[in-house]
Amino acid sequence: MYSGQHLRVSDAEREAVTDRLAEHFAAGRLGQAEFDDRVERAISARTRADLSGLLAGLPGTGTPAGPELPRGGGSAPGSPIDFRLDAASGVPTYLQLVHQVEHALRLGYLKPGDQLPKVRDVVASLAINPNTVLKAYKELEVKGLTAGRPGQGTFIQATLGQVALPELAGLHKALLGWLGTADAAGLDEDGMVALFTSALRDFYERRGGAGTRRGAASGNTEGVA
Amino acid sequence: MNIVEASGLGKRYGGTWALRECTLAIPAGHVAALVGPNGAGKTTLLNLAVGLAEPTAGGVTVLGGLAAGSAAALDGTAFVAQDTPVYRNLSAADMLHLTRNLNRRFDQPYAQARLGELGIPLNRKAGRLSGGQRAQLALTLALARRPRLLVLDEPVAMLDPVARHDFMALVMTAMAAEGVSVVLSSHVLADLERVADYLVLLSRGRVQVAGEVAGLLASHRLLTGPTAEADRYADRPVVHVRRGGAQAHLLVRATADDPVPPSWEAHPIGLEELTLAYLREPGAGALPGPARGQRAPHSEVTR
Repeated sequence: MYSGQHLRVSDAEREAVTDRLAEHFAAGRLGQAEFDDRVERAISARTRADLSGLLAGLPGTGTPAGPELPRGGGSAPGSPIDFRLDAASGVPTYLQLVHQVEHALRLGYLKPGDQLPKVRDVVASLAINPNTVLKAYKELEVKGLTAGRPGQGTFIQATLGQVALPELAGLHKALLGWLGTADAAGLDEDGMVALFTSALRDFYERRGGAGTRRGAASGNTEGVA
Repeated sequence: MNIVEASGLGKRYGGTWALRECTLAIPAGHVAALVGPNGAGKTTLLNLAVGLAEPTAGGVTVLGGLAAGSAAALDGTAFVAQDTPVYRNLSAADMLHLTRNLNRRFDQPYAQARLGELGIPLNRKAGRLSGGQRAQLALTLALARRPRLLVLDEPVAMLDPVARHDFMALVMTAMAAEGVSVVLSSHVLADLERVADYLVLLSRGRVQVAGEVAGLLASHRLLTGPTAEADRYADRPVVHVRRGGAQAHLLVRATADDPVPPSWEAHPIGLEELTLAYLREPGAGALPGPARGQRAPHSEVTR
């Protein structure tokens, strides 16, 4: 399918292949390990020969940058997530959309290759200004979490926390235990939040400033502000 | 391109100026909300913009310089008047037929598809539709003209929350799909927060505030601190003051980067709070208005 197997590949070609892999992963045609392995090999590919095997055994391999990507799994070609709005939160609407995408990424509801809801659909279901949705999607793109594909929509291209769901459940349980202890010690909700926030800050400071991710911590402070 | 532009626009009914010295430029691609108390001149301004009224002074253009009311302007403009009026004795099908024959451009398949999606029976008389359905019918007729500017006068005031949501969803979908610019007047401040990204505040027939919502919100802060010190800011651009015995709230023109005086706290404000503050300070009061020299990049405040 690729001619000139010895030719060196461009970043665009590598990206096209990883995009396709992400599609197949999202559609359930690739397992996590297989997906990670193939993406790794795509990123380090130097020649077309290196790339050509990576889409083997997957449907539609002849058109690495084809405009219509077949999507398996879901009934309608839509997004795995749906937005909601909390009018009482005081958080600007566009930021609520950004937070919900980050949240879904962290909890594994969204994976690379998944499509975000189309602007039209968000607008129709929430009755909000399309410029607001565009602003949120632009923000996500600036953060490097998504990429727009002309004529198709906006797709996830990065992950936030790579923690698997069972591990998350364990951490959640451990945190509930801590909350129980804090409650028994007489700490109220605000006190717990304050303590957690300060411990979080200490943790990242001790690790050396650069370790501070713009993950949960920054999202939360924005929400509170 | 400015979707609506007015210059020295005025309208007098008898001895009363309903609108006076109105100068504004609303850029295309926005949902512009026209807000103000009853009698502020909102309906007058909208009627002038769609050519239903003739200005007494000044002028108004739409769609990038077309004289309001001219054939070219009317072709690209659709208007839904207050309380979304339709002929109550005509069926939805009759209304479609009538509107199609009264307009040069009318997208019949669009109108029929939309009414089908909305579940509005074509053979039912408009007077027997629910308030929400009547509003949707009027809106559908307006959108089927494929306008580039959609003007709505108090479109949702009479609707229940669900009908209000569905109505605005249809407006926003048209904006997302076809790039329609929207100018609407409304009393329902809470609804504007989700929808409007450009604000025009009218008061006593004059434009009090105009600008992009993001710019306006970024250039206003609510300062909270001791009442005793509230007057120290008399020479600052204070919009509105609420005084308690010990604590006072000042709405000032300032950005997040501006220094906050010691013992004062600064908070960002929402559209509703901003609008209310200006509505409570309609003219020259005990406090000075926003300083004329202090103009935010995307907004303009005039008094």
